[in-house]
Amino acid sequence: MNPEMAIYAGQSLAIPLTLVLAGLTALFIPIITRRDDSTPGLVILTSSLILLTFFPSSGTAFISMFSGALTLSPFTNYLWPFFLAALAFTALISLHARDGKPGSGEYYFLLSMAALGLIFMVSAGELLTIFIAVELLSVCLYALAAINRSPTGAEAGYKYFLLGSFGTGMLVMGFALVYGTTGTLNLDAIKLALAPGLPFHPLTSAGFIFLIAGFSFKVALVPFHMWVPDVYEGSPTPVSAFMGAAVKAGGIVVLYRLFAITAGAPQFREIFWALAVITMVLGNLMALPQHNLKRLLAYSSVSHAGYIVTGFFGGSEGLKAALFYLVVYAAATIGAFAVVAALEKDERGVMVKDLAGLSGRHPYLAAAMTLFILSLAGIPPLAGFFGKFYVFTAALRGGCTWLVVIALLMSAVSAYYYLRVLVAMYMEHEPAALEAAPSRAMGLALSLLALIVTALGIFSGPLLRLAQSAAIF
Amino acid sequence: MNFIDANLLTVIIMLPLAGALALLLVPKGKTALIKNMAFGLSAAVFIISLRLYFGFDETNAAMQFTVDKPWLPDWGINYRLGVDGISLLMLMLTTFLTPLAILASFDYIQEHQKAFYAGLLALQTGMLGVFAALDVFLFYVFWEAMLIPMYFLIGVWGGPKRIYAALKFFIYTMLGSVLMLAAIIFICLAHKEQFGTYSFSLFDFYRTAFDLKTQLWLFAAFALAFAIKVPLVPFHTWLPDAHVEAPTAGSVLLAGVLLKMGVYGYLRFAVPMFPAAAQSFAPWLAGLGVIGVIYGSLVAWSQPDMKKMVAYSSVAHMGVIVLGISAFEPAAVSGAVLQMVNHGLSTGALFLLVGVLYERRHTRMIEDYGGLAKAMPGFSAIFMIVMLSSVGLPGLNGFVGEFLILFGSFRTYPWLAAAAVLGVILSAVYMLGMYQRVVFGPVRHEENRHLPDLSVREWGYLLPLLAFIIFIGVYPAPFLRKTDAAVKAYVSAAARQQDSAAEGQGSAADSSLTNKNVNPPHSYKAGRRAAKERR
Repeated sequence: MNPEMAIYAGQSLAIPLTLVLAGLTALFIPIITRRDDSTPGLVILTSSLILLTFFPSSGTAFISMFSGALTLSPFTNYLWPFFLAALAFTALISLHARDGKPGSGEYYFLLSMAALGLIFMVSAGELLTIFIAVELLSVCLYALAAINRSPTGAEAGYKYFLLGSFGTGMLVMGFALVYGTTGTLNLDAIKLALAPGLPFHPLTSAGFIFLIAGFSFKVALVPFHMWVPDVYEGSPTPVSAFMGAAVKAGGIVVLYRLFAITAGAPQFREIFWALAVITMVLGNLMALPQHNLKRLLAYSSVSHAGYIVTGFFGGSEGLKAALFYLVVYAAATIGAFAVVAALEKDERGVMVKDLAGLSGRHPYLAAAMTLFILSLAGIPPLAGFFGKFYVFTAALRGGCTWLVVIALLMSAVSAYYYLRVLVAMYMEHEPAALEAAPSRAMGLALSLLALIVTALGIFSGPLLRLAQSAAIF
Repeated sequence: MNFIDANLLTVIIMLPLAGALALLLVPKGKTALIKNMAFGLSAAVFIISLRLYFGFDETNAAMQFTVDKPWLPDWGINYRLGVDGISLLMLMLTTFLTPLAILASFDYIQEHQKAFYAGLLALQTGMLGVFAALDVFLFYVFWEAMLIPMYFLIGVWGGPKRIYAALKFFIYTMLGSVLMLAAIIFICLAHKEQFGTYSFSLFDFYRTAFDLKTQLWLFAAFALAFAIKVPLVPFHTWLPDAHVEAPTAGSVLLAGVLLKMGVYGYLRFAVPMFPAAAQSFAPWLAGLGVIGVIYGSLVAWSQPDMKKMVAYSSVAHMGVIVLGISAFEPAAVSGAVLQMVNHGLSTGALFLLVGVLYERRHTRMIEDYGGLAKAMPGFSAIFMIVMLSSVGLPGLNGFVGEFLILFGSFRTYPWLAAAAVLGVILSAVYMLGMYQRVVFGPVRHEENRHLPDLSVREWGYLLPLLAFIIFIGVYPAPFLRKTDAAVKAYVSAAARQQDSAAEGQGSAADSSLTNKNVNPPHSYKAGRRAAKERR
């Protein structure tokens, strides 16, 4: 490794270390000052912003560290800032949503550790690193889901923990089988061991099926999505936003790596094809009858995972499109959950009908929600449309005409439930129960996200080029 | 081309949107300022667009006032605009109707006025963009984006069933257009395969060759999206709901402009891109059009609600127009293009007149009127002329268009044309019947005895329409001349047969369609060779 690279590696490693330090600071501040206020949130927010500002970029360098356990690549160059930004936005929303709630130290500590898990997960070079990262992430999320100590929160945490452990069990099984048959944990070595053209060892196939199932749990592809609506509904809303945006992105990325490793084998293509189709179809259909806004967004996030998986079939072009999609989808999802957070008052949550007349009382909040919803629905000229366009174009190039036709039809179906939100906000005039008082932090987060969702639509070129430089594997 | 002309289209398209954003900054309470600003802006757009009309060279079949700037260069997506005779008339129709629709809303809209006028202006940008886009991706963006303001116009300011109508309008259109998007992407990828570069340019799409089976699929995807918009008969059910619930301005623009987009889509995209498939689909399209004429007329006949009657009469009129464009005869196509303008004028005027009555009595039922001639003579006179124009009385605009269509399509589809004549006769039956029951006879309801006649503002937005209804009826030649070259290009593009479609279209009839400034044409074989070398 030449000196320049060494410096770069050191700088890069400083990021997770800083995150650990910031998390610990956030954890201990309330203990030392004996005051439960928003200071820990500000610590996490500032440190993630500082990390984003001084993010070291290495261009196209590939660096393998710790005998291959961790790799730095253009890929991580793209995803690390993404996770940091997601963390920053979640913290910003949490400043509003967790105002006056106890346990802010733990909350922000767990949040930053979850982000750390994601950062390790996408830069893992070995199955073992992936496993550790997944566990770090999941354990933090289990606790975060239940941190409100309410009945729904406890249900969410418990359900997530049980089903998540089931998923983790599958992962371990998969790791064991793959390791047992290929004799290595290193991802590149596994790919080499599975020489293209030769049939897989049956146990290797079984191992990969377990791995795919395990990560489908994390990403919430149908039929592994059962936990999603309850967990998203019961968790604190900023946490739901983080799960929907960042955690999903991390899982998708690992799924893509599995897809890339097994790409030679048609049976795995078929598995992914089937997963994408049923996820899109059922995710959208199940979103149709939802009344709770968080559950609706949860099912919408399920279906979006299906759209992204569609992009896998487009090769590196597809990865580029998927990386682009992850960002625009995350911005809209965090935004939509942020609006929920701005509105919710009690455990009951926010129903779609509670939004009635929102446009009259809070025109800016309603306008921001409109942008997020229309972007999720994929209406031009908002960013979501361009995300879908790139992903579907890539998939079509990969020869998956029917997959794309299904995806497009399902996105037309999705317009129905997305529009219901707009109907409530703009077209129903009953006096509504909810009054919002968005704080400054919330206002800042919403306007930034609305700006992103709009600007990345009309000017999608720069981000797409970033995604292109990252989509080298 | 000088600086003004080079940016003329951009200014015309983007000015309403900029105005909409500016409107949002005006304080809520200043409704007079908001109204005047909205009207002034749209009037200014119309005046600027006159430069387009008079600067247009009708002897030249190529696209004019072209703009070509890279937007998403990775995919060959450019900001490409331009007009030929057909889009010129559609653009003028849009810029002409929008200020009138705004003027007609001054009293009708009392709630959220700022958002209403901003929505109308944003809608205008979408409509103008659809007619001027020469990049298929850009076209799709305008086509879809336009749904949002229209959705809100119906859903927020509409009648009692507005939410249902707005949702239905949105979902119907979106279901149709997602398949079109799939087809668009497919063609772009095929173009890359054949020529080696990504491009969404309309002319590159014309050049891309497909075998007949693929053409049929692709044509079907486009045709469905456009058939829903027109609407052709089995896909028309969103239209009566949307029309009846929409506020007057929404109905005017919906009938006047939005429906034309469907026909325009056939003229500009579906047919020239897939001529062979279009030839095999054309009898079906014409047949559906004629079914629409008869069905629409019969249903309109039985409507007790004036607005619904006008809505169904739109179905019938659009059916005639589709018959015209599927005949591939110059006379029929010219007639269809002119009839698109005519329908925009006369149906727009009918909706405005129904709106005038509704503002006075808050009912649209024919039963609730009668004997209006005494109380509202001015209204009754205008109503008669507009109604007769819609019926197709010689001397008024409707006759010219319908005559040309029927005359032209008789050679291709004698039976269908004959059946369409029946529909035209039916339209006289229900329109005259409605007029008689509303305007003549005894005054059945006391409230109607002292209804005020048209106000100055109402005269203001009806007279311009009336002027054009009579002018086109007497002297349609200038408008027909504008479209001549474009219509010929369309007919010759549609005549390209299957073999030319399969072997290559680069040098074929579309040389007249191709704008040499925008896209240097290169032969299909050269492109193929280049693609091979790259492999």
